[in-house]
Amino acid sequence: MASATAGPPPQAPAEPATRGRRPQAPGTRHRTRRVPGWAWALPPVAALGLSFLYPLVLVAKQSLSPDSGGHSFAAYTQVFHEDSFRKALWNTVWIATASTAGCLVLGFALALVIAFVPFPGGKALSRFIDVFLAFPSFLITLALLFVYGTVGMANGLWTDATGAAHGPVAFLQTPWGVLLAEVTYFTPFVMRPLLAAFSQVDTAQVEAASSLGARAPRIVRQIILPEALPSLAAGGSLVLVLCLNEFGIVLFTGAKGVTTLPMLVYSKAILDGDYPGACAVAMVAVVLSVALYALYRAAAARALGGGRRARA
Amino acid sequence: MLVHSRKGRWTAWLFFFVLFLPLFALPFLVVVMASFATHWSGAFPSHATFAHYRDVTHGDSLHALTTSLLTALAASLLALVIGTWAALAAERLRGAARRVLDGLFMLPVAVPSVVVGLSLLVAFSQPPFLLNGTARIVVLAHTVLVTAFAYQSVSAALSRLDPAYEQSAASLGARPATVLWRIRIPLLLPSLTAAAGLCFALSMGELSATMMLYPPDWVPLPVRIYGATSRGSLFEGAALAVVLMLTTLVVLLGMSRVRTRASYR
Amino acid sequence: MDPAADRTDTPQGAGIRFDRVTVAYGGTTVLDALDLTVEPGEVMALLGPSGSGKTTALRAVAGFVRPASGRVMIGGRDVTDLPPYKRGIGMVVQQYALFPHLRVDQNVAFGLKARRTPRGRIAARVTEALEMTGMAGYARRYPRELSGGQQQRVAIARALAIRPGVLLLDEPLSALDARLRSGMLAELSRLHRELPDVSILYVTHDQIEALTLADRIAVLDQARLQDCGTPHELYRTPRTEFTATFVGNANLLRVRAGEPGSVSLDATTLRVTAPDDASTGPAAGAEATLCVRPHALRITDAKATGPAAGSPEAAAVPGANILHGTVTDVQWRGHTHRLLVEAHGHELRADVGDLRQPPRVGDDVALTFDAEDGVLLPAGLAGGVPVG
Repeated sequence: MASATAGPPPQAPAEPATRGRRPQAPGTRHRTRRVPGWAWALPPVAALGLSFLYPLVLVAKQSLSPDSGGHSFAAYTQVFHEDSFRKALWNTVWIATASTAGCLVLGFALALVIAFVPFPGGKALSRFIDVFLAFPSFLITLALLFVYGTVGMANGLWTDATGAAHGPVAFLQTPWGVLLAEVTYFTPFVMRPLLAAFSQVDTAQVEAASSLGARAPRIVRQIILPEALPSLAAGGSLVLVLCLNEFGIVLFTGAKGVTTLPMLVYSKAILDGDYPGACAVAMVAVVLSVALYALYRAAAARALGGGRRARA
Repeated sequence: MLVHSRKGRWTAWLFFFVLFLPLFALPFLVVVMASFATHWSGAFPSHATFAHYRDVTHGDSLHALTTSLLTALAASLLALVIGTWAALAAERLRGAARRVLDGLFMLPVAVPSVVVGLSLLVAFSQPPFLLNGTARIVVLAHTVLVTAFAYQSVSAALSRLDPAYEQSAASLGARPATVLWRIRIPLLLPSLTAAAGLCFALSMGELSATMMLYPPDWVPLPVRIYGATSRGSLFEGAALAVVLMLTTLVVLLGMSRVRTRASYR
Repeated sequence: MDPAADRTDTPQGAGIRFDRVTVAYGGTTVLDALDLTVEPGEVMALLGPSGSGKTTALRAVAGFVRPASGRVMIGGRDVTDLPPYKRGIGMVVQQYALFPHLRVDQNVAFGLKARRTPRGRIAARVTEALEMTGMAGYARRYPRELSGGQQQRVAIARALAIRPGVLLLDEPLSALDARLRSGMLAELSRLHRELPDVSILYVTHDQIEALTLADRIAVLDQARLQDCGTPHELYRTPRTEFTATFVGNANLLRVRAGEPGSVSLDATTLRVTAPDDASTGPAAGAEATLCVRPHALRITDAKATGPAAGSPEAAAVPGANILHGTVTDVQWRGHTHRLLVEAHGHELRADVGDLRQPPRVGDDVALTFDAEDGVLLPAGLAGGVPVG
């Protein structure tokens, strides 16, 4: 093994420093002057401020400065009196709420099967869900046009079978079409955190419960659901925010009857050129979404904390 | 296992696939089928053709594809740099400062993308910054929207990184900059490529803010798809959508290959 | 391998000094005013249960925790305010922390590159460090391709490559299985013989590792230094009840001191080792604690040495040192029998050589020990930790 010549002889003379970092006199405080921690955060914060916060502030400002000049809440009072705004607000809220409820029920049921009634290919399926999350939402509406549209699979089946000129399926241009698209697109957003939470559920607990004679519904209610509740809350509130903000699905539906807040912002600004009005609607949408997003962050923090506790 | 009887299991699986296939698999299937057709009057499309794909290889559609690729490339690289920097800076902070930074960088997720588009339109159509009508404003919007995801995934990866590595490196005499370049960045590489892939995919499909901002000479693929479907060319839109999905998929797969090749242990 | 040409931040043969080092996390003191000196070239083991503050002490030397008060010196230089990368120490942690993206040789070269050692010398030093740890054949492998014991050797090679004056080892063997551990223990002793100038601070909760490897052992408990001395001193003449039980699992008996060299337990007089310095021993008639190691107790035929148990005559036999009791448990441990014996209000542990006819539970037995195996704890230091 080693030739035992490692290291200098015990009384090696002090070597001259070849480069820098000389041992310093004992007792002296040699704190290198360092950039404080918060200073490193300044460049990215500045970038974010310039490209995101500053424009948002300008939107708020513009919403308070009507074209006629001066500062007033005129844009807001006008927007609030418009029928289209009230309808858009109502549409946005109810479609988002209903979609979220649908996503939660569907996502919970599907994730339950993947996690606890495993089948070959289940793993690949969860990867498919990850890919699904990376695709744009409007693809779903585009696909639904081919399934339920005036020319499309469902109506095609009907006309093939009955010989009628038109099929009966015509809900795509209604809020129900938007609802179906949003439930389809956002359900994976609920499933992913749920699958993560389910993988934390102690299988021994499930086995112990079934050995004690509990049947599947009772196990789901008493063991799995409590464990999944924080993730359900987090996933649900995220989906609620994303549904409130959803634009692509509504735009592709192309229905004049279904207007949501983001759609209203778009049509006021781009189609009508009414910037103060668009900015006022935008501020309402921002307040609504950010408030809900704050709730989501709180729920997500709890879900994470709960998970950590469960693991400890 | 939750369900023990064979009958119960088959019921659960049946229930699963009755819901899953029409909701999640059928959409992709019909888009792919439609992209090879020109008519859809029965249960299935008819008049098979490759014409839509031939169109993608030249003219405006090809331009839209390259526009989208360039935008996504620029936006995801910018987002990766800014997001990683911010995540590294946030890691050194504690308490309220940390929470403020977290909240700030996640805020673009909460604000509707349409509003982000509107705000950039308002801010950069006036001095001192005149970007309206350029490609740069589209890239800027995409960067703002995807930086949050880069920040989030890098932050999560940082919190999973074992401090023993950087401490061992420091004890061996490596300065903080050396520790960052030689140890932490290489160890973060799998997460960084995953974050880049996600940012790229999200930027490829971004429609909401882009609709507010795109100049006539910088039309990304999603806008082009919308244009096609809104003027009734559904089948052309389907072909473009397939191209969009395939490109996104190829990039994601490529990134995950880099990930497996570079991942350790 | 040119000794004059290499340069380290700490001169070879640097010692470590803790000068009233106190570390606190959010109001909890995890290390309380530690005063300890590691001489140049010495192996000092920090021994204690988890939460005793031993790892904190090591991390204070490495620079990963900052003392709330007190100073840390390496080689006579105050390093309390130096960042870790300027301290020039080698460190090996429990999970090795080999850089997974670097090959073995790159891992070992890392510290040399970080201190800008000339390229030509790096290769020689890497080879030297890998040969010293027997890993020369694995230079091109990645850490994930190595077994736990091999990773351990690479981690040591990586720490030694920078020729540190001080080597910090934080539970380096606890991730290995029992057989590998004893092999590595021998390796570490050999390495230290080859590098006699390197001071080693060795953190462990395992008394065997500490007794085998260390020149001196510092025993920590509840954030405080309990005892410090050579393994022999600690084992033979522990100064606190904690040391006596933590190192070697001694029996502690509450006795009353008699004249120097004798104590009384109930009515029995026992001969014990007289302290070298009579002033440190307890005054006659005072309460005292007697420490007897389990393997120092033997079973004796009580009838042969004296009259029946408890009778005044038994105590009269000089040097008999007989303790009468009842067996409450018998555990066979292969080479010994561990007996638990209820005697004089104490539960005594006795390790006796493999008996052909071991006593059974409920049997009355007589135990004896030699006077030199009975040690009185110094007065005034006996309090503290309850006997386990």
